[in-house]
Amino acid sequence: MSLLEVKNLKVHFPVKQGVFSRVHAHVKAVDEVTLSVGVAETVGLVGESGCGKTTLGRAIIRLVEPTAGRVLFEGEDLTQLRGSALRSRRRKFQMVFQDPYGSLNPRMTVGQIIAEALDIHRLVDGAPARQQRVAELLRAVGLDPGHAQRYPHEFSGGQRQRIGIARALAVEPRLIVCDEPVSALDVSVQAQIINLLQDLQEQRGIAYLFIAHDLAVVEHISRRVLVMYLGKLVETADARGIIHAPKHPYTQALISAVPVVDPASKRRRIVLPGDVPSPIDPPSGCPFHPRCPVAEARCRVEVPLLREVSPGHWAACHLA
Amino acid sequence: MSLLEIRNLQLEFGIGPTALRAVNGVSLTLAAGETLCLVGESGCGKSVTALSIARLVPSPPARYVGGEILLNGKDVLRMNKADLRGIRGGVVSYVFQEPSASLNPVFRVGHQIREALKLHRPDRARAEEVVRLLKLVGIPAPELRMRDYPHQLSGGMQQRVMIAMALASEPKLLVADEPTTALDVTIQAQILDLLRDLRTRLRMSILLITHNLGIVGDLADRVAVMYAGQIVELSPATDLLQRPLHPYTLALMNSVPKLGAGAQRLTAIPGNVPSLEAMPPGCRFHPRCARARPECAREVPGLIEVEPGRWVRCPFWTQPLPARQEALG
Repeated sequence: MSLLEVKNLKVHFPVKQGVFSRVHAHVKAVDEVTLSVGVAETVGLVGESGCGKTTLGRAIIRLVEPTAGRVLFEGEDLTQLRGSALRSRRRKFQMVFQDPYGSLNPRMTVGQIIAEALDIHRLVDGAPARQQRVAELLRAVGLDPGHAQRYPHEFSGGQRQRIGIARALAVEPRLIVCDEPVSALDVSVQAQIINLLQDLQEQRGIAYLFIAHDLAVVEHISRRVLVMYLGKLVETADARGIIHAPKHPYTQALISAVPVVDPASKRRRIVLPGDVPSPIDPPSGCPFHPRCPVAEARCRVEVPLLREVSPGHWAACHLA
Repeated sequence: MSLLEIRNLQLEFGIGPTALRAVNGVSLTLAAGETLCLVGESGCGKSVTALSIARLVPSPPARYVGGEILLNGKDVLRMNKADLRGIRGGVVSYVFQEPSASLNPVFRVGHQIREALKLHRPDRARAEEVVRLLKLVGIPAPELRMRDYPHQLSGGMQQRVMIAMALASEPKLLVADEPTTALDVTIQAQILDLLRDLRTRLRMSILLITHNLGIVGDLADRVAVMYAGQIVELSPATDLLQRPLHPYTLALMNSVPKLGAGAQRLTAIPGNVPSLEAMPPGCRFHPRCARARPECAREVPGLIEVEPGRWVRCPFWTQPLPARQEALG
C-alpha cells in the first residue's frame, strides 16, 4: 500500500469582485490531481510558476483546504479530519519551505524552534531530554549542537535550511513535503542540502514530495516525476522516462529549454511562444494547445485525459 | 582598442580598519561585439563590479581605492557628473534581475521607454520609435502594449520592456545582471534567444552576470569566474566548460546536477562562501579546496596566463584533483 494516495484532488479559489464581493469566477489552482507516494520514495513535482505545484503540496497536508477529492495517508482520509484528530496526524507529515529567511521565527533561538514541535506533540519529558533531542537533531543535519542557543540571523542560508529540516525531522515524520528547498540557495550549497536530504531518507526511511522548478535537481533526487501545467498533471513517469523519452509536448519543451553546460551538445531547442495562460480562464480543450507546437483541431475542443502511453508512463495528450 | 577595460579595480565599503573590500583587483577587457559572462555565487562581487562600469555603486559607503575603468579609453572613475550622465544609459545600459521592481508601477511602459529616448535621443522620442523598440524585443501588438501599466504584463514581457528601454539609447555595452533568474525556464529560453539575436543584429557587447553555468554555454564568448571579490579563472567559454582549470570552477560544475545524468551523488563544495569580514588568508578558496596545500594558506596566488587566453588564479592548476571530495557541511 502507498503511504500517500491523492485522488481527484481539487483546490479552487473564488475570485471576488464588486461591492458585495460576489464570486464571479474560480481559479482552478489544482484540478483533478491523482498521485501516490510510496514508503521512503521520492516523488518530484515540476512545473512553472503559477502551475499550482505549491498549492497541491499545501493542500495535501491541509495547509490549504481542498475543494474536493481525497487525500489518503496510511489509508486514512485527511480531508475528513477535524481539530485534534488532524493535529495528531500532523506528526506524520511535515513541510520544508523555500525561503530559509522567512520560515524561521527571528525571535526564537534555534533550540526553541526545533523543540516547539516536540512540546506540541508531547514527545519529550523534561528539559534535559528536550535538550538532548535538539542536540541529536542538530547533529543529524550537520550542525554543531552548541548552536542551539543562537538565533536564525547568525546562520547562512544553507545552515538555515538545515535548521528547517531539523525542525521537520523533530516529530519523526513519514513524509516531508519539500517546497523548492534549494532554489533560494547558492549553487555550491544546493548540493550539500540535496545530499543531506538523500542521506536522511536512507537512514530514516522518509518519503519526500519534492516540489521544484529545476528539472535537473528533480531528476537527480526523484524516482518518479510529475509534470504540472495550469493545475493539471500532464505527464508522470519514472525520472529516466521523463528526461530521456518525454511524451507530452510541454515536457519536451521544458526539458529542451534547460540551458546545458556542455558546449558540445547541440540540442534542438523548442522555444514555446507566449506565457502560461491565466488559470481563471483556462483555454478550452487541452490547456496547453495555444502554446503547443503540434496542436491539432481536436486539441482545441477535447480535454485530453491522463492515459498510460507505455508501461508506467502516463501523459495527457491526444497525440502522445 | 577594446570597448571596456577594467584594470585592477579595488572597491571598499566603509573606512578605516573595518572597511570591507568587496572587489579586490579585478581586471578584464571586453571587445566590441563580444559577450563576456561573469559567473559567481552571491556576494562574490560580480554585481558590484558590473555596476561600477557606470559608477552606479553609491559612494559613500563605497570607495574606489584603486584601479581604473576605461570605457572607450576614458576613465569612468575620474569623470565628472555631466560626463557620467552621458554614459549612464547612453554608452552602457543595464537590465536587472527583477523586472517588476525595476519598472515604475504608476507610468505606462510606453511612457517609460519614451523617457529613456528623451534623455539620449531627443529627436526620436516619438511613439513610432517606442513601437519599433517594442517590436525589436518581440512584444506582440506593440501599439496596444505600450499603453499597458507594468502590472498588466507578465514577468517575461516586463523583462522585454526593460531590454527595450535599455536599447533605446543604442548602447555600445549592455550589462545584464541575472536577467533570467526571476523567470521560468521556458521564458528564460525566450529571453536568451532574444539577447543572442539582438547581439548579432545590433553588434553590441554584452556583459552577462549569472550564477548558471548552463547560460554560459549558451551565450558567452568568454567567461570570468569570480570568488570572494577576485577573478579566479578567465577563459574562452568553450575551453572553460570542457576543461575547467581552477579547483573552484571545477567544484562548481560538479556540484550542479546535470539533466539526464540520473541519480549519481553530487559532489558538494564543503563549507560556505567566506564573508567579507572573515576572509581567509592566502588563497581565498583554500579552506574549501580539495587540492589545498599548507602553502595555500600563506601566499596569495596571482592570476597567471597558463595557456594563450586562459588565466587561472591557482599555482597548482596542473595537479590532478582527488577523485572525490565529500561534503563536510
